[in-house]
Amino acid sequence: MVARAQAVEEKLPVTPAKDSVAAAEVSLFRNVLKIKKEHNLEGLGIAFYDLQTTIQWAYNGDQYFHAASTMKLAVLLGVFRQVERGELSLEAPVHIRNRFTSIVNQEPFMLDLSNDAEPDVYSHLGRTMTVRELAYWMITKSSNLATNLLVDVVGVRTIQLALDELEIDGIRILRGVEDQAAFEAGLNNEVSANGLLKLLRLIADGKAYSKHASDEMLKILLEQQFRSGIPAGLPKATRVAHKTGNISTVHHDAGIVFVEGRKPYVLVILTQFPAETARGTAVADVSRDIFNAIAEMTYE
Amino acid sequence: MSESQQIKVVDAFDLDDELRGLLKPGEMLRDQQGRRHRLPRYFYEVPSRDEATEIRLTPHFGLNEFVLVDLKEAPRLQEFPRYIPCAVRMLAFFLEQFRAAAGMSVHIAVNGGYRSPAHKMAIDSSPHMWGTAADIYRMGNSILKTKELIDRFNDLAEELSDDVLVLPYGHETGKAVDDHVHIDLGYIMVVPREISEDRMEVPQESRPRFAFEERRKRERRVPQPVAAGPENGKAE
Repeated sequence: MVARAQAVEEKLPVTPAKDSVAAAEVSLFRNVLKIKKEHNLEGLGIAFYDLQTTIQWAYNGDQYFHAASTMKLAVLLGVFRQVERGELSLEAPVHIRNRFTSIVNQEPFMLDLSNDAEPDVYSHLGRTMTVRELAYWMITKSSNLATNLLVDVVGVRTIQLALDELEIDGIRILRGVEDQAAFEAGLNNEVSANGLLKLLRLIADGKAYSKHASDEMLKILLEQQFRSGIPAGLPKATRVAHKTGNISTVHHDAGIVFVEGRKPYVLVILTQFPAETARGTAVADVSRDIFNAIAEMTYE
Repeated sequence: MSESQQIKVVDAFDLDDELRGLLKPGEMLRDQQGRRHRLPRYFYEVPSRDEATEIRLTPHFGLNEFVLVDLKEAPRLQEFPRYIPCAVRMLAFFLEQFRAAAGMSVHIAVNGGYRSPAHKMAIDSSPHMWGTAADIYRMGNSILKTKELIDRFNDLAEELSDDVLVLPYGHETGKAVDDHVHIDLGYIMVVPREISEDRMEVPQESRPRFAFEERRKRERRVPQPVAAGPENGKAE
């Protein structure tokens, strides 16, 4: 679908019969191109899977983007791998310390906590929080401090191992966050829309190590407090288990959308825009279009 | 410690095998300069979290403040009863003076008090394994993360005693990053009054490490009956 869609660009084939799945897909594709143009996006990657109909759809699904905070989904998976193996307890205490080691030359660095809008972990400096609490803040408020602490606890190799074990291609984890030396050396975490989709599908299907582990991860993801991405394009009552990712030139969101009366769908939207451009509402616009497309679909 | 707060002292050689394996009483370690130091043998036994909180080593320092660890410590040593070298009371005494001189509360970081030899941060020998070093992350309301703050409290600690070692800002790497004041009284071994000299046995350099260990081993040996057959002698 992806390759075909990109090849034809805006010259779409003859309009399919109204109310068909194909019609909804074509309409969706047109809208996506329109959104890309309107928001002056340099890059757009979308992957979608509907558990109700098993329809899968992607646009630039295998293109790699800077992961930003979506890498925290992989960290969460790595944590639950260790928990499932009995090598880590969710109740284990972790020393809250703002001192990390760069993957470049092993140089130490600290996070700039004065810019951190999230005081929940920062206020525990010198004391402990449990692995469960850190996982919660890493996802729900995208705490960088909690993320780097958990990366230290489980290790980058374990996180990548978890991705490999579950055959998740399209997510490359090299380090924690705010490692400026690594950033300047071009060593970044990267994700593709299809990679994140696979990870979230495993959680939605209860297959991320176990049903119990998947449910625990889902519970945390449902508590997400940043709602300007996928949820902003949906009716207010819609529940979304998701993780956003923002740096100066990217805005991503990846989540599982629970719509009343049907099985959920999994959606990943990755956007990249020029440095001088504000991030805008592209993710919410795509989310809205996908939701509308689903609402319009009739299944043959 | 008041009379009502008497805390049990144990000889780590009397603990079970797992604990002995983790605490390594009397074992020789080397520091970063290659100097040798023998690990402590006598420990306070802390029966419960509540008692750790209640027992005051000095007016402002509870025993619990010196045993805060996270998952880097061996799981068995995170359970109660916990064990902490008896020399910790000397550290508490110094920190009480330090607190008075600073005129503010002193906060020891997690993993900043006693760390066993099994702790994941224990690479070379460090006085943390003797219970005689503290990493202080906060003084009053100030988080110690700048060179100015760390230098200021390092100077204060040095003014109090010539024998105390403080480490300069960025001490681990020489880089401009640090997050605590390290106060270190050195490798002090305390033999509590409760321990009698006639109970002490001097560890040896070569095996057997401890005289009584070899004696116990001998006592455990049961003579085996000699079976007939060529395996027990030269075949003829």
